[in-house]
Amino acid sequence: MNPEFRRNVWLELVPLRLVVLVAVLLFAFFSAALTEGFTGPGSIARWAYYVLVVVWGTRNAARSVVGEIRDRTWDSQRLSSLRASTMMWGKLFGSTVFPWIGGAICLVVIMADVVQRSGAAAAVLQGAYYIALGVIAQGASLLASLIAAGRRQGRSQFEVFAYQIVGIAAAIMVWAIADPSGPTIGGIPHTDFVSWWGLMLPTQPFLLVSLAAFAGFMLLGNYRLMRLELKLRNGPTAWLGFLLFMIVYVAGFDAWGGSNLIHADAIARRLYLAGVVSAGLTYLTIFLEPKDRVFFRWLGGEFAHFHLGGAVSRFQCWMMSGVAALLLGGVLVARLAVLNWAADEATIGALLGFMTRDMGLVVLMNMAARRRGGDLLALAVLGLLYGLMPPIIADLQYGTGQALFLPRVTDPVWLSPAAAWLEAAAVWVLAFARIALPEQQSKI
Amino acid sequence: MIDVRDLVYEYPTVRALKGISLHVEPQTITALVGPNGAGKTTLLRCLAALEDPFSGSVIVGGFDTRSDPRAIHALLGYLPDFYGLYDGLSVRRVLTYTARSRGIAPALTAAAVEKAVLRVGLTDRIDVKAGDLSRGLRQRLAIGQAIVHEPKVLLLDEPAAGLDPQARRDLSVLMVALKDAGMTLVVSSHILAELEDYCSEMIIIEDGMIVGGKPIKVKDVARPRYILEIATARSDLRDFLAARAGIDVIEADEYHALITHSRSAASRARLIRDLLAAGFEVSGFGESTRALEDAYFSQVGQGR
Repeated sequence: MNPEFRRNVWLELVPLRLVVLVAVLLFAFFSAALTEGFTGPGSIARWAYYVLVVVWGTRNAARSVVGEIRDRTWDSQRLSSLRASTMMWGKLFGSTVFPWIGGAICLVVIMADVVQRSGAAAAVLQGAYYIALGVIAQGASLLASLIAAGRRQGRSQFEVFAYQIVGIAAAIMVWAIADPSGPTIGGIPHTDFVSWWGLMLPTQPFLLVSLAAFAGFMLLGNYRLMRLELKLRNGPTAWLGFLLFMIVYVAGFDAWGGSNLIHADAIARRLYLAGVVSAGLTYLTIFLEPKDRVFFRWLGGEFAHFHLGGAVSRFQCWMMSGVAALLLGGVLVARLAVLNWAADEATIGALLGFMTRDMGLVVLMNMAARRRGGDLLALAVLGLLYGLMPPIIADLQYGTGQALFLPRVTDPVWLSPAAAWLEAAAVWVLAFARIALPEQQSKI
Repeated sequence: MIDVRDLVYEYPTVRALKGISLHVEPQTITALVGPNGAGKTTLLRCLAALEDPFSGSVIVGGFDTRSDPRAIHALLGYLPDFYGLYDGLSVRRVLTYTARSRGIAPALTAAAVEKAVLRVGLTDRIDVKAGDLSRGLRQRLAIGQAIVHEPKVLLLDEPAAGLDPQARRDLSVLMVALKDAGMTLVVSSHILAELEDYCSEMIIIEDGMIVGGKPIKVKDVARPRYILEIATARSDLRDFLAARAGIDVIEADEYHALITHSRSAASRARLIRDLLAAGFEVSGFGESTRALEDAYFSQVGQGR
């Protein structure tokens, strides 16, 4: 048996707790069966499942790594001979084995209830949905705690709660979008078919396949982060694969939202959506990944010595996503130039410039911060630049000046992208200078 | 067994190790000493391949910490200065988990656990929960965790902290036994007198650098240090000793001499006999137990 799973079983499956769990659940189902109303056993089982597997399970998953760090057992685990996958499975399903046992009992009642009402096929569908929901929720919490571990922070009870919330939020998203018995798909009325890349696909199988794909990537993400914790190196392939998947997946929905975003042809709309998802992942990952001066210096050294393969193989996710966003944005600008959409062309150019500037700002603020807190500082500066400065400039009756802070249609049109890219260049020069600063001076 | 070249390690705002180079021979016990904040724990973490150096290289057992950290993890035992235990598990289960997670086959695990508890003196508490052990016993269990898989290299950060005098003595005996069993040990500690019992070499770290630039040989097992005392002052004590083959005089005055000499009992008896024959009133002759402390303060003093 997986040693990590077994250790968790030793800690979690105390006989008295098991007896109490089973007794409480049986009592709840029995009581619900007697009332025969809104609170029938099936309904009670659903709520109990959410409480046990989602609420309790995400807490345990969130603590499975951060708790080890807090209790000072993590270094010992990192030195173990266990493979990253063994450690990941052992933690994900070992730390949550008690809630899963309760969840399994609930699932039996849920499926029995569905078989009675809608037949066996619907019961299998419901079973798959509930299991995927639990795995995604707990996987998201473990992912959040592994990200925090990589940043060498996040051991307090409040932060563990925050990682638990990430898992619960993931569960709510899955529930809102993919609940087979739900009336809507993420707030949009449920339809029998969904338009994707111009194809009309049956909604329920499409959602289930999507759910399986996201659950797979969630587990892959956990595995990759666990590898890093065990001092194994990750190449760029997995993230590039996920990025490509997201680009293709989101770009396929151009018929839904893309047409409202940009008034151009389908290719431009898909490029726009692909660029937006790449940029979104860039912003997300730059705040999640560690910004390590030592690593940046090493990367600079690799580039300086033309060891491009080594440097690129250790690119962080935000770097890869950022490059993808810039490339897709560049292609989109070219497409808009062909279509003669000069105003949108300039706006996209400005957007890319501001994104580049923002990445530089996050790096710069992290280099400038004495200890941790660089990301919060960067968020504050970005809030100032996007939230406070444009209204102030507008109040000063200097509309064109807003182009310094937001993509704007200006006269001449090149003014907005030029301002954005000049700012980006200035910020990156400062960031590079700060990275290169000797450590004694950087303390000042 | 351990080869470190120009090791530089940086925390975000401070350079903790500033170009450390050292070499540790196999089957030796090396003391890592220095004031608080000198970089001892950081160096141990770099040796354990838990931290990546900014520059320089760390080779342990022929593996580079950068390119093959997992191979190094497999041959290491590491006791951090602040360690944790699974308080809800018994001593047996803690060690069983550690043994299995360190790659010991299921069939061999029970024997490995028995051997580890015997070594650290926890046999009679094998089914007691870790959370119910006293501080000293917890320390023993933590050491048991570090050695249960018979590592080739053992890194111990303040292993005697929290141990009573008897347990410290037991630890010294254990260290020597582990070394004799083929392990290479690097031990960080503030308690020089305790290190004296089992360390053969010392590395003094101060402000991220090795004082004197290299490890110091503090004890030659074959030629230990001896202190000679005479009751009546003789100005020729140093010359008499220096003239004899097989003796190195480290320091001497009219009443005392600190020398290195063969451990052989017959050789020592011959020396005492010759001293008495030459009219030296020998009042004391024994192995020096302050070599480490003397070396430490002489080196640290020079560094300032």
